[in-house]
Amino acid sequence: MGCGAMMKSVMEVLLLLMLIFTAHAKEKSYSPPEKPTQTRCRSPEKETFTCWWEPGSDGGLPTTYALYYCKENSETVYECPDYHTAGENSCFFNKNDTSIWVNYNISVVATNALGRAFSDPVDIDVVYIVEPNPPEKLTVAVMEDKGWPFLLVSWEPPHKADTRSGWITLIYELRVRLEEEDDWEMHHAGQQKMFNIFSLRSGGKYLVEVRCKPDHGFWSEWSSTSYVNVPDYFHREKSMWILVALFSAFIFLILTWLLHMNSHSLKHCILPPVPGPKIKGFDKQLLKNGNSDEIFSALVVPNFPPASTSKYEEMLVEYLEVYVPEEPELMLESKDLLDGCLKSENSRSDSDSGRGSCDSHTLLMDKCGGTKEEERQTNRESSLMETQGWKEEAINHDTSGRVKTWPSVYSPLPQYGSNPLDKQSSLETAKQHSLSTSSFLTQPGTEDALGPSYTDFCLSNKQNHLHPQMLAHRELQTRSDVNISNIGRKRSPASEYVEVQRVNKEDMVLLQPVVSRCGHIEGCPNLPKGEDYSKVKGVDCDNRLLLQREGTGEDVCPCVDQETNGEGGNCYTSSTVSTTQKPTACMYTAMPLQGETALTLNGYVDSATMGNMPSC
Amino acid sequence: MPGTIRSVSLVSVVLLVCLSSRRTSVGAAPICTNGQVGCHVLSLDNLFDRVIQHSARMHGISSDLHSEFEQYFLPSKNQIGRVGRICHTSTIITPNGKENAQRMAREQLTEVILKLLIAWRDPLWHFHQSMAHHHDFNNFSSNKALEMNDMVHELRQGVEKVAEKMQVLGIISNSVTSLASPEVLLPSDSADWRLMKDYDLLYCFRRDSNKVQNYLKILKCRIVPDHGC
Repeated sequence: MGCGAMMKSVMEVLLLLMLIFTAHAKEKSYSPPEKPTQTRCRSPEKETFTCWWEPGSDGGLPTTYALYYCKENSETVYECPDYHTAGENSCFFNKNDTSIWVNYNISVVATNALGRAFSDPVDIDVVYIVEPNPPEKLTVAVMEDKGWPFLLVSWEPPHKADTRSGWITLIYELRVRLEEEDDWEMHHAGQQKMFNIFSLRSGGKYLVEVRCKPDHGFWSEWSSTSYVNVPDYFHREKSMWILVALFSAFIFLILTWLLHMNSHSLKHCILPPVPGPKIKGFDKQLLKNGNSDEIFSALVVPNFPPASTSKYEEMLVEYLEVYVPEEPELMLESKDLLDGCLKSENSRSDSDSGRGSCDSHTLLMDKCGGTKEEERQTNRESSLMETQGWKEEAINHDTSGRVKTWPSVYSPLPQYGSNPLDKQSSLETAKQHSLSTSSFLTQPGTEDALGPSYTDFCLSNKQNHLHPQMLAHRELQTRSDVNISNIGRKRSPASEYVEVQRVNKEDMVLLQPVVSRCGHIEGCPNLPKGEDYSKVKGVDCDNRLLLQREGTGEDVCPCVDQETNGEGGNCYTSSTVSTTQKPTACMYTAMPLQGETALTLNGYVDSATMGNMPSC
Repeated sequence: MPGTIRSVSLVSVVLLVCLSSRRTSVGAAPICTNGQVGCHVLSLDNLFDRVIQHSARMHGISSDLHSEFEQYFLPSKNQIGRVGRICHTSTIITPNGKENAQRMAREQLTEVILKLLIAWRDPLWHFHQSMAHHHDFNNFSSNKALEMNDMVHELRQGVEKVAEKMQVLGIISNSVTSLASPEVLLPSDSADWRLMKDYDLLYCFRRDSNKVQNYLKILKCRIVPDHGC
C-alpha cells in the first residue's frame, strides 16, 4: 500500500471516532469543515521548507488542521513536526526532516466535531521550491568617472543561503529609480555581488533595491531600499543648453522681424517682377489670344527702317559753314548735346555708355561738370587773358540748357612719318575732325597765326558710343577772319568726326564725317590711324589753311593731365615718340598756357590753353 | 565594382577562417599531459567551470523536455501507478542534503557523479530511439533527446578529465574506480529502466542531472574555492 492509502485508513478511523463523539452533540446547523487548500510550500535555503494552507469554513465548530506527509516510495506517514514556527496554518520542516531530491506527498486535514475535510495532495521536491530571502547589506556609493557620477552598488547574499559551499547558486537583479519617478530601471547582475550603475541622468535622490534567485527556483522579495543622494553634475550642462536655446530663439525672432520688415524688398530681390512687354503698339491681349499675325502687324511701323540709302547719305555732313562772329561768346545750340551732356554726369574719362563727347571733361559746355568746369574756365580765362591777351571764347553755361563749346578746328599734318598710312598733306586730303552741327570760330585777338582759335565741334551722339579718347583734335591756327560757316546743319550721329575733304575756292572747308578713332588718354594720344591728318601751319591772308607737310622741329605734345586744374604744362616727348604721335592729338583737361611754350607748338593752336578741349 | 566585391569577400572569408580557427583552437584545446610543450593547459577551476556549465545546460534541456511531456502527455494525478515510480538510479546512494554532501569525501562524490552519468548512458539512448519512432512528438523534442544523450557522454568525459586532473594534482586519491572500469558502476538491476515509461524516465533524469550539477558545484567550491563560490 502506498502512502496515500495508509493515510486514508487512518482518516477513516478518526472519522469513526468523531462520529461517535458528535452523536451526542447538540442539534445545531453545524457542518463539517470545508476542504482546506494548500497554498504553497517554500524553502529559503534548500535545507528546510515550510508549507502553508488556507482553511475553508469551519462549519461553526472549532476545527483543527493537521498536515500529513509521506516520502517517496515509503509507506510511512508523518505528521508535520512543527506547526508554529512558521505561523498560522503552516508546517515547518527542519533540516532533519527535509530531504532534497525526494518527492513529498503532503495533505492537510481539517477536522471539526462533525467531520473532516482533506485537502488535495501536493507533490513537491524541495529543489524546485527554493525561494531565498532577499539579499542583505545593500550599500550604494556615488563614484566619479571623468566628471560623470555613477553608483557603485554592493550587497551580500542572504545569510541563510549557503553559496560559499556551492550548495546554492544565486543570481541577482537590482533596480534603480529617482525618488520622484515611478518606473524602475532594472539591471541584471548575474552571480556577482556588486554592480555599477552608469545610467544616471540627473542629480537627486536615488532608490536602489536588489533581489536574488537560485538557478532553479523563485525570485526573492526585494531587499530593503537603499537611498543615495547624487549631486547635480548635470545641472551645468542643462543650463548651458538652455542659454544656447534661448539665444538662438532670440536671434531667430530678430531675423523673423527683419524679414517681415523687408518682406517687400526681399520679394523684389528674390522674385523680381516679370517685366511686361513695353512695346508701343503691342497688345498683350492680342498675344494671349494667340494670333501672331495681328500682333506683329501692329508693331509694324511704316517707313521704317528707311529703305533708301540716300537717307544715310543725307545724314552725312558734306561741309560745314563756320563763321566767326565778333562776339567772343559763342552759342552753340545743340539739344542733343545738351541731352548728351546732361546724361553724362561728371564723367571724365569713360564714355562708353552712349554719352557723347559732350561729357568729356574738355568740353567747356559740360554742364554736368559743374563748378569745377567753371573754375577751370575762369582760371583759364584769367590766365589766358593775362598771358596771351587772347580772347577766349567764353563759355557760358546756359542755365536753360544751351551749351556752348569752344569750337576747334584741327587739321592734321601729313608729317607723321611713322604713320605709314597716310602722308597726304594736301588740303584736299586733309581731314579735319570736327564735331558739331555748327561751330563758331572765335576771332583771336592777335593776327598771329598762333592765335588761338579753334573750333570745337561737339557732336551729339546720344545714339553713339563715343570714346573721348577717340577724339583726336588738332589745333589749328586760324585766322580771325576765317569763316567757317556751317552749311547744312546736319548731324551725323554715327560719327564723331567730320573730315575735311577739301577746301574749296570760297574758302570753305568741306567736311566729311568720319568714324572717330582716337588714341589713348595718357601721354600724347595718337591720332588713331590718322593717316589723313595734316598739321595746319597757319592761315594765310587769303583765308587758306596752310598745312604742313612735315613735322618741324620739336614736336611738342602737350601732355594730358586730366585731373589737374591749374597745373600742367607741356611736356616734351621724345622725338621718337612724337613722330609716332600726332602732336595735335592731345587731350587736355585744363592747362594754363605757358606763354611762349604754347607758341612753340608748331602750327598748333593749343586749345587746351584756352579751355577745355574736347577729348576723345 | 566586381573586383572590389571579390576582394572584400575574400578578405572576409580569410578573417572568418582565422577567427573560427582561433575559437576552435581555444575551445578544443586538449588537456595536455605533463611535459608536453606548446599545449594550452587548463587550470582545474577552469575545468570545473566548463563541466559545471555543461551540466547546467544538460539539466536545462531535461527540464524543458519534462515540461513538454507534462503538456502533451499529462499523467492523471489520480494514477495509482504514479506513486510507485522508482528511478533505476535509486540504488546509487546519493547524499540528500547539504550536510550529507559535505560530509562525503571528494573521491566518493566524484564517484557518485560518474556513476550517475554512466547509469544514464543507455536509457537516454533508448529514449531517443523511442522518441524518433513515436510520431507523437515533434522534431523539437526529438532533437532535444538526442542532444541530451550526447551531453551525457560529453559530461562524463569531462568529469573524468577533472578526476584525472585532481588525481594528478594529488587532490584525490586514486581510488576512483569508475575511471578504470565504468561497467562496474552500472546498477545491478539495470534492466529496470526499460520498464519505465518515458515520462517517469524524464522525471528521473531531470532530478539526476540536478544532482550532478549540484555535486559538481560542491566539489568545486571545496577544492578550488574563491572562484565564484
